[in-house]
Amino acid sequence: MADLFSILSQASGSLSAHRNSAATASHNLSNANTPGFARQRAELQAMLPAEMINGGFIGRGAGLLTVSQARDRFIEAQIPGSMGQAAFSSAHSAALQGVSALDPDGGAGLTKAIGDFYGSLRALSQNPSDPGLRQVALSTARSMSQAFNRASQSIEAAKSGIDAKLTGTVAEANTLAANIADLNNQIQVARASGGEPNDLLDARLAATDRLAALTGAKPVPDAKGNVSMLLANGTALVNENRAAKLSLLPNAANGGHLAVQLTRTDGTGPMAMQQSEFGGEAGGLLAARDTTLDKAAKSLDTLAFDLGNAINLVHRTGFALDGTTGRDLLVTGATSAGAAGRLAVDPTVDANPSLLGAASSAGTVPGDGTALLALIGTETQALSTGLDASGALSNLISDFGASASRLAAAAQHDGALLDNVTAMRESVSGVSIDEEMINLTKAQRSFEAVMKVMKTTDEMLQTLLSLK
Amino acid sequence: MRVTDRSIFEAANRNVGAARERAELATQEASSGLRVIHPGDDAAAAGQIAGRRLDETRYGAIKGAVDAANDELASTDGALDAVGAALSRARELAVQLANPTYSAAQRASAAEEIDGLFKTVVAQMNTRVGQRYVFGGFKDGAPPFSAAGVYLGDPGVRQVEIAPGVRQAVSVRADVAISGVGGGTDVLGTLSALSAAMTANNIAGIQNSLNGLDAGIIQISSARSQAGSSMVVLDAASAASRAGRDAATTSVAGLAEADTIESASKLALAQRALDASLTASARSFQLSLLDKL
Repeated sequence: MADLFSILSQASGSLSAHRNSAATASHNLSNANTPGFARQRAELQAMLPAEMINGGFIGRGAGLLTVSQARDRFIEAQIPGSMGQAAFSSAHSAALQGVSALDPDGGAGLTKAIGDFYGSLRALSQNPSDPGLRQVALSTARSMSQAFNRASQSIEAAKSGIDAKLTGTVAEANTLAANIADLNNQIQVARASGGEPNDLLDARLAATDRLAALTGAKPVPDAKGNVSMLLANGTALVNENRAAKLSLLPNAANGGHLAVQLTRTDGTGPMAMQQSEFGGEAGGLLAARDTTLDKAAKSLDTLAFDLGNAINLVHRTGFALDGTTGRDLLVTGATSAGAAGRLAVDPTVDANPSLLGAASSAGTVPGDGTALLALIGTETQALSTGLDASGALSNLISDFGASASRLAAAAQHDGALLDNVTAMRESVSGVSIDEEMINLTKAQRSFEAVMKVMKTTDEMLQTLLSLK
Repeated sequence: MRVTDRSIFEAANRNVGAARERAELATQEASSGLRVIHPGDDAAAAGQIAGRRLDETRYGAIKGAVDAANDELASTDGALDAVGAALSRARELAVQLANPTYSAAQRASAAEEIDGLFKTVVAQMNTRVGQRYVFGGFKDGAPPFSAAGVYLGDPGVRQVEIAPGVRQAVSVRADVAISGVGGGTDVLGTLSALSAAMTANNIAGIQNSLNGLDAGIIQISSARSQAGSSMVVLDAASAASRAGRDAATTSVAGLAEADTIESASKLALAQRALDASLTASARSFQLSLLDKL
C-alpha cells in the first residue's frame, strides 16, 4: 500500500536522480574546453512500480539509469588517420620552409658567387698579369667555395634541427604509449566493477589521437576493450597493457643523424625502423630529412664536385706566371659525397695568386689569358647531369621548391580535412554551454518540483498527525 | 549541424588565423616588392630566377671585358694612327729631299727629323694601357720595342669572349704591322735606312726608301683596319651584352618582383577580410545563454 512515507522515500530517490543530472551538466560545463572530452548524458528512467494497488500500478519516482557519452564511432575512426596525415605533411612542409640556403635571391648566395667568380675570370683574361685582378679572381673563387659551404651547412643544420625535434617527438610518443597501455589496464578494471569509465575513455582517446599524430600509428580496438596502436608495417607501439619503446641512435651511414629503433612490447629488440614505417610528425620529419633535404644536399654536392673538377681539369692545363703548370684551383675531394661542404681554393694557389694558371704555355706568360678563356668555358660546359652549372643550380632550386610547394599545399589540404572531421566530432561530442545551461536549469526545476512534493507530503502527514 | 562553444572558438581561431596569415603575406609582398623569396613560393620561377641572375652577371662581365678590350683597341688605333702620320711625314721628306736641288746639309737636317720620327714610332709602339704594353703580344710586361727598333714581344694575339663561347681577337700583331714578319715591310728598318741615306746624302738611297715607306703606310693602314673592324665587332658585342644583361634583369624582375598595384590591391583585400573575420568572430562570442539567465 502506497502510504505517505513511501511518497517521501520515492521523492528522495528522485531528488538524487535530478541531482545527478545537475552534476552531469556541471561536469560537462567544467570540461567544455577539455581536449578529447565527450559530453555526457545522465539518462533517467521511471522506477518500476513494486505492487498493484486497487487495480492500478503506482510508480516509484525517477532514478538514474546510466551516464552515457555522445560519440559517433564512424567519425572517430577517421580522426587518427587524418591527424597522422596532417601532422606528416605539416612537419615535412615546415622543415622545408625553414631552409633558406636555396632561396633564389639571397640564401647562401650561390648564384651571385658563381656569377662573380666567372666575372672575375673574364676581367682577368683581359689582363692576366695584373696582380690585383689575380687577387680578385682568387677572392671570388673563395667566395664561391664558401657559398657552397654555407649552403651545405645550412641544409645540414636543418637536418640536425630535425634530429633535435625528433628527440622530443620520440620521448612524447614513448610517454603516450605507456599512458595508453596503463589506461587500457585501468579501463578493464573499471569495467569489471560495472559501468562505463567515460573519463578514462576520454583520456585514452586523447592519447591515441596524439600518438597517431606523432607516429601515424592506427588504433585497433579488441573485444576486451583494449586499444592497441599499430605502425604502418603492423609493429605494435601498444599491445593491450604493454607499450613498446622507441629510441634514437646516431647512424654513421647517414652522416651521424639519428635513426629510430624500437624495443617491442614483449621486451625484445631493439630493431631498426625504416622511415616508411612512420607517419605523423615523426614520419614527416624523417621524410624531410632523409628524402627531400638529402636529395637537395646530394644535388648540391654533385654540382660542387662536377663544377670543381671541370674547373680543375682546365686549370691544370694553364700555366702560372712562373711557368709552372698542372695545379688544381679547387679542392673537391675524391668523391661527390660532402663535396659542397669541403670545397675550397687550393691552399698553394690561394697563398700565391701568381700560381693561377692563365697562360696556354710557359713561353706566353704573363700576357696570355687563353687558359682563362678555356676556364670561362666551364661555366656553360655540360656536367655529369647533362646540365651546365646554371642549369644544374636552377634545377636544384626548382626541384626543392616544387617539393616545398607541393608539401605546403598538402599540409593545407590535410589540415582542412582534419579541421572538417574534428568539427564533425565536435558537433557530436562537444559541449554546448547553452545546452548544458538548459539541462542544468531543467534538473534544478525538477529538483524544486520534487522538493515541493516532499513539502506537500510533509503537510499531509502533519494533517494526519493533528487529527484528534 | 549542432554547434558547440568550442567549435565556435576553434573556428574563430582558425578563420582569424588564416585571415591574419593572408594579411601578413600580403604585407610582406607589398613591403618587400618580392613575390618569390623561398623556392616554394613559385618553384618554376625560383629556378628561372637563379638562371637569369647568372645570365645577368655573365652578360655584365662580358660587357665589362669587351669594353675594356675596346678601350685598349682605341689606344692601339691611336698609336697606329700616330705611326701612320709619322710614316707620311717621312715619305714627304723623302719625296722632297730626293730632289737633287737640296743640299747635303739640308738632307742631314732631314735625317735628324727622320730619327725623331723613328723615336716617335718606337714610343707609340711601346704604348701602355694600365700595366700592359698593348703591342707586346703575350709578353706585355716590358716595352716590346727597343730603342733600336728591335721587336722584343711575341706573336701572341689576345682574345676576348664576346658572347658565351665566342671569342674575338683584340690585339694587333706589332711584329707583322711594324717589323714586317711574314713578308711585309720592316717599317723601322725603312726609317733607319732613310735616315742613313739622308745622312749620307744618298739620293738613290732616299728614292729607294720610298717604296718601303709606301708599303709601310699600307701596312699600318691595314693594321688600323684590323683594329677598326675588331672595334666594330666589340661595339656590337657590347651592345648585345648590354641587351642580354638588361633582358635578364627584366626577366628577373618579372619573375621575382611583385606587381605594385596587384600587391596593394591584395593587401587591401586581405586587411578587409581580416577585419571582417575579427568582427564576425567577436559577434559570435557575444550571444550566449549565460548572459540571459
